[in-house]
Amino acid sequence: MDLFLCLILGLNSDKCRIFMMADVKRVSRTFKDISLSFLPHPVTGDLGVIKNERAIRQSVRNIVETIPGEKFFNPLFGSDVRGQLFENANYAAAFAIEDQIVNSLQNFEPRIDDIVVKVDLFLDQNELGVSIAYRIVGEEFPPQNYTFILTSTR
Amino acid sequence: MAFTKFTNLDYDQIKESIKDYLRANSDFTGFDFDGSNFSVLIDTLAYNAYINSVNANMIVNESFLDSAALRRNVVSLAGNIGYLPRSQRSSRAKIKFAVETSANTSTLTLKAGLVCVGTESNSSYVFSIPEPIVATVNEGVAVFGTDNDPITIYQGTYARTSFPVDTSLDQRYIINNPALDYSTLIVRVKDQNDVGLGQEWERVKNIIRIDKFSEVYFIAEVNQENYELLFGDNIFGKALQSGQTIESTYIISDGKAGDGASRFTFSGSLFDDNGLPISPSNIIDVTTLESARNGADIESVESIKYYAPRVYGAQYRAVTGRDYEGIIKQIYPNTESISVVGGEELTPPQFGNVLISIKPVNGVEVSDFDKKTILDGLKQYTIAGINQQIIDLKVLFVEIESAVYYDTTKTTTADTLKTAVVRSLNAYAGSIDINKFGGRFKYSKCQKVIDDTSTAVTSNITKVIIRRNLNVAENQFAQYELCYGNAFHIIPGGGSIKSSGFRISGNSSIVHITDTPNVDANGRIDGSGQGTISFIAENLNSNSGESNYTTIVRNAGIVDYKKGEIQLFTVNIVSTVLENKIIEVQAFPQSNDVIGLKDLYVSFDVSKSPINMVKDTISSGEQISGVDFPVTSSYGNGKLTR
Repeated sequence: MDLFLCLILGLNSDKCRIFMMADVKRVSRTFKDISLSFLPHPVTGDLGVIKNERAIRQSVRNIVETIPGEKFFNPLFGSDVRGQLFENANYAAAFAIEDQIVNSLQNFEPRIDDIVVKVDLFLDQNELGVSIAYRIVGEEFPPQNYTFILTSTR
Repeated sequence: MAFTKFTNLDYDQIKESIKDYLRANSDFTGFDFDGSNFSVLIDTLAYNAYINSVNANMIVNESFLDSAALRRNVVSLAGNIGYLPRSQRSSRAKIKFAVETSANTSTLTLKAGLVCVGTESNSSYVFSIPEPIVATVNEGVAVFGTDNDPITIYQGTYARTSFPVDTSLDQRYIINNPALDYSTLIVRVKDQNDVGLGQEWERVKNIIRIDKFSEVYFIAEVNQENYELLFGDNIFGKALQSGQTIESTYIISDGKAGDGASRFTFSGSLFDDNGLPISPSNIIDVTTLESARNGADIESVESIKYYAPRVYGAQYRAVTGRDYEGIIKQIYPNTESISVVGGEELTPPQFGNVLISIKPVNGVEVSDFDKKTILDGLKQYTIAGINQQIIDLKVLFVEIESAVYYDTTKTTTADTLKTAVVRSLNAYAGSIDINKFGGRFKYSKCQKVIDDTSTAVTSNITKVIIRRNLNVAENQFAQYELCYGNAFHIIPGGGSIKSSGFRISGNSSIVHITDTPNVDANGRIDGSGQGTISFIAENLNSNSGESNYTTIVRNAGIVDYKKGEIQLFTVNIVSTVLENKIIEVQAFPQSNDVIGLKDLYVSFDVSKSPINMVKDTISSGEQISGVDFPVTSSYGNGKLTR
């Protein structure tokens, strides 16, 4: 049909190709996931849905918090951060945790790259502050920065 | 919706099926990333489906005799077709002994239970009897057993289990003793006011000729290899009544471990007429008439799965060859393999005869006593007009002569490698491929066994020889026939058949058997597939190490190369070089795969198979060009003697 239209309009082949390319529809990609709170939407009553960068952020958190062996038939999935939390709290442990998180995200979350992890020691609070910076692949979202606290109990 | 495979047993495939289904729904798009919350739900769902699939699969498998794996289920399914798996079976020995006593008694009673302690390979085993034996005292001596009527003692410990009967309860009478030999089980039922042992009830296998007055019981194997006693219901068999007591006695056996004990020390208990214990006035010397044998372990799951359908198919009638297979195993549990050949298949035919050849688990011969027991046991199953004969096992030995090439860089010593090769061959020799009637020696498999022994083995040149042992009637004129069931390879100049040495009357030389194929007028093999057997003597030149041969008897017999048969005409063999009056007669088979035809039992004789280790100079890197490579011939060595 498009080629027929080109002929009617008297367009040459190059112009015709440009005309046809402009006709390609852009399909927007979204990531959707459910909310683990399982609270119904106040208006629709549907299950809560989280989208795009929030869905990916939740996934990042899940990967970091999953202990290897927890996922059925996939014993390598997750990161051994939990094991490291019971080590002596020092910068060596913090570096190890950073490595663990980077490796696990590189292995199991293909939607992000340029991952930078920083772990801060809050010795007085018995906590570790984890800050993960990453970029979402192929989407026009700004670089993401996700911060959360790790303690030796869940 | 995506096509879902409901037969998936793999977790990942189930998970993929769920994802395929969800892909058709655009509400959620991030579920296929493992970190997503949705993935947790999918995992749980897939795991649940996986567990259900595995359970369903296992339940279905366990519902059929062919696929069931758990003994309890196999036994239960076999029970549905009336098959009771064999229990552990005590080794039985036959003994006799005399007891001298000064006590004033007309009889001596040997109490049921421990009788002797037997020794075998530095281990001691107790032997018992399931019922008391009474002997008359003559001039102060009581004789227990004679040469013609010995006492049978059973390896194991005598035990007793009692059950008080209360019909108001849902009772089960289970003897919790997996090692019991149920052929020694005696069940007595005692009424409330009985003072004696009680009435002995009979064990039956089916309900033929049973009515409501029959004092019978059945047994069944239940969980954990225990046995349950099942009684009648006043329709088929008399029912039990409250207040009665069931007394069961039996022998707990060590199975085949007790076989072989031949020296026994008396340890029994003797009682006089009044039931008082007495001490013998002599040291009791136990004479062994037959050492302990025929013990067997409890029937394995594989055996139950194999024999239950056959026994059911036989319907307690020995008609076809397969029927015999199932029934003989029941009568004589020491059976490893059975061959049954109908007389009509023989040459010449023997109509109405059935020839049975049995390979026992231990050794190669069934004793005359056991043969009689088997034939007696078979009588109740056989149809009229059929005459069974148990013939001695004919073993067709397979030998190999192998040159094994090895890479010196991959092994420490040739001897170590040779030991490993022999060990592999022994394992192959013990496999079920060979050790059965109708078994087959597979040449390619044998070569593979050698090659796979070690990475150091680079190749092998293996020659196959078939051999039978000729049992000689010394100093008697006799004719002999040896059947191999496999065609012989014809060597134009003769020498396909060789034998160990023997002497014949009228000649002092050690002679050997050899063959010459029949030839036509032009000196070519005539195509009859036959040849002449001759006896030759070997003259060894001690200087050169070479032999020449003198023909002693030119026409000593015939050979049929196609059928694989050797016949010796009437000859008087006075002695043999080998022990036990045996001449080993070998031949080169036409095919390197050797089959056990009819009643021939194929046995791979590794002990007589020379293994020569040859250095592979090319693989070892010594000679890349292969100029002086040690070549081994794939054919015979030209020698006419074994």
